[in-house]
This record gives sequence, structure tokens and C-alpha cells, in this order.
Amino acid sequence: MHITEGFLPPLHAAAWTAIALPFVVVSARRVHHLMQEQPQTKLLLAASGAFAFMISALKLPSVTGSCSHATGTGLGAILFGPSVMALMGTLVLLFQALLLAHGGITTLGANVFSMAIVGPWMAYAVLRGTQRWGAPLALSVFLAAMLGDWATYLTTAGQLALAFPDPVSGIAGSFLKFTGVFAPTQLPLAIIEGLLTVVIVNFLREYSGEELRSLKFLPQTLATETR
Amino acid sequence: MNVRNGGLLVLAAALAIGSVLIGSRQEGAEFAGADGQAMEAVAMLNPEYQPWFGFIWEPPPEIASGLFALQAALGAGVLGYYLGFRRGQAQARRKRPDAGD
Repeated sequence: MHITEGFLPPLHAAAWTAIALPFVVVSARRVHHLMQEQPQTKLLLAASGAFAFMISALKLPSVTGSCSHATGTGLGAILFGPSVMALMGTLVLLFQALLLAHGGITTLGANVFSMAIVGPWMAYAVLRGTQRWGAPLALSVFLAAMLGDWATYLTTAGQLALAFPDPVSGIAGSFLKFTGVFAPTQLPLAIIEGLLTVVIVNFLREYSGEELRSLKFLPQTLATETR
Repeated sequence: MNVRNGGLLVLAAALAIGSVLIGSRQEGAEFAGADGQAMEAVAMLNPEYQPWFGFIWEPPPEIASGLFALQAALGAGVLGYYLGFRRGQAQARRKRPDAGD
């Protein structure tokens, strides 16, 4: 889902950076507060970041013969609330932009917006929404991670469409074109990410009850059923 | 719980393997990155567009694969450490007879 270095016109690159920056600043403050108020959750936060780090390094194949990777930001968003993930996602994207020639510095703002802001907020909203409707927790977590991933890719497609409208069909046509590029890889990938996120959450509910209970962002059902 | 997690992991692996198998049948399947394909689409939509900024540093292909592996290893390492640590803690707690919850 990374927009490659230099592939957004300067004005777009600057605008997305300006939009993403406040989220990252708020996120950094949030993480700082969290560390001071609940130092016992430090390790879980590191583990959530590590999950995103690992997942976004794994390039998985798609049915159409291309490949891409999932984002892994849903887990942290579910556990700590969406705003914490803006910082985590930025760190992942920086690593990939500087060391792997994947993404870029000029496109960092746009990539942070799609992967570290829209994705986590979508995941969180889906978790909350489905829990309110009484969905089983595993299903909620699965949908949250999966739809968060899709939201990230749709955002990327939208960003590219805004920058490169189709000469004939305009922004909408261009959006469909970019969505068509990402969809075949991302549909199955997001399902894999959803499954893995459920596995981790299952594990946490079994062994990390105390930590889950201390996280105020969590829906009640996640914490109370743990031992 | 463990059986269910095992099943989910098998399902995830099956999806990935299935994708390779189906994908390999496509003509000209190179498993190229979707990011690259999106940038090709940019070139088609706007042939005159020139990227105005290049990578600060681009690792040689072999080094790049190593760095990708490093990224996955660091992530999996920290995650595995956490999960193992908590599981051990939980088990130790259950073994102590005087530990009342």
C-alpha cells in the first residue's frame, strides 16, 4: 500500500504530511502518558508494535500472481485505541522508507495517513460497532482487523486517484483503477491478517488478563471473560 | 482455545499457499509487488509525470531481502518474547497452591 518515493506531486505530498502530522504528535503524547500512567502495559504495547512490524515485512502472494503485505495495525488499535497506532505505524513506515526503499520520505505523510490513521480508526470503529450489535468477540476482532486493512488500501487508492485523475473518467475512474490494482492482493491478505489478529487476541485473553483489564479502551467483553 | 488457534493458523497458511498455487497458473505471474503495479498505473494515467524525488538509499537486492528478514525477525522476536513470558507467568501462578485469585 505504500506510495513510492516521489510518486505524489509536491503539493499533495505536503498536504498529506500536514494532515498526518497532528495525529502523530497526539499519538506520541498518548504513548508517553500511557507509559507513565500504566507502565505495566509497556510490554504489551511493544508486542503490538512488533506485530505490525512483523506483518508488514511479510510479502504474501495473491491469486492474480502479484504480492503485497498486510498492515498489522488493527491489533494495537483494538487494544490501546486507534490514536496510539499513528506513532507505531510511522515507525514501521520510516524503517521501510529509509532502509528498504519501500514507500518514501516525501510520501510518508500520505502513507502514515492511510496505514497508521485511517486503518486503525476503521478497525476500532468496526470493533466497537460489532460489539454493540452483540457479535461474538472473535468475529468482531476478525472483522476489525480485516476491514482496517481494506480501509488502508482504499485510502491509498483514493490518494493516488486525487493526484492522478483519469484523463477520461476523472478521479472516480482513476480510483477504480487503483482499487483494481490493490484489491486482488489485499482481499485475501486482509483475511489472513484478521485470522492472525484473532489468534493473538485469543492468546491474550488466556494469559494476559490483568493487562487487558487495565486497558480502558477495551470493550468490556474482551477483559471480563479472562481469568 | 489452543485447538482453535491451531485451526486459525492452518487456515491462514492454507490461504497463502492456495494463493501461490492459483496465482502461479496465471500467465506471466511474477508475484511482483502491488505497490510497483500501482506506480505503473500512474505512468499509464499520466505518462508525463516524473517522480521528483528519489530514494535516499536503495539497498542492493540481497541486502534488501536480509533487511526484510531482519524486520520480520525483530517483530516476531519481540512478539514471541512477550507471549512466552506471559504464558510462563500464568503457568507459574497456577502452580503455586497459595496463590488465590
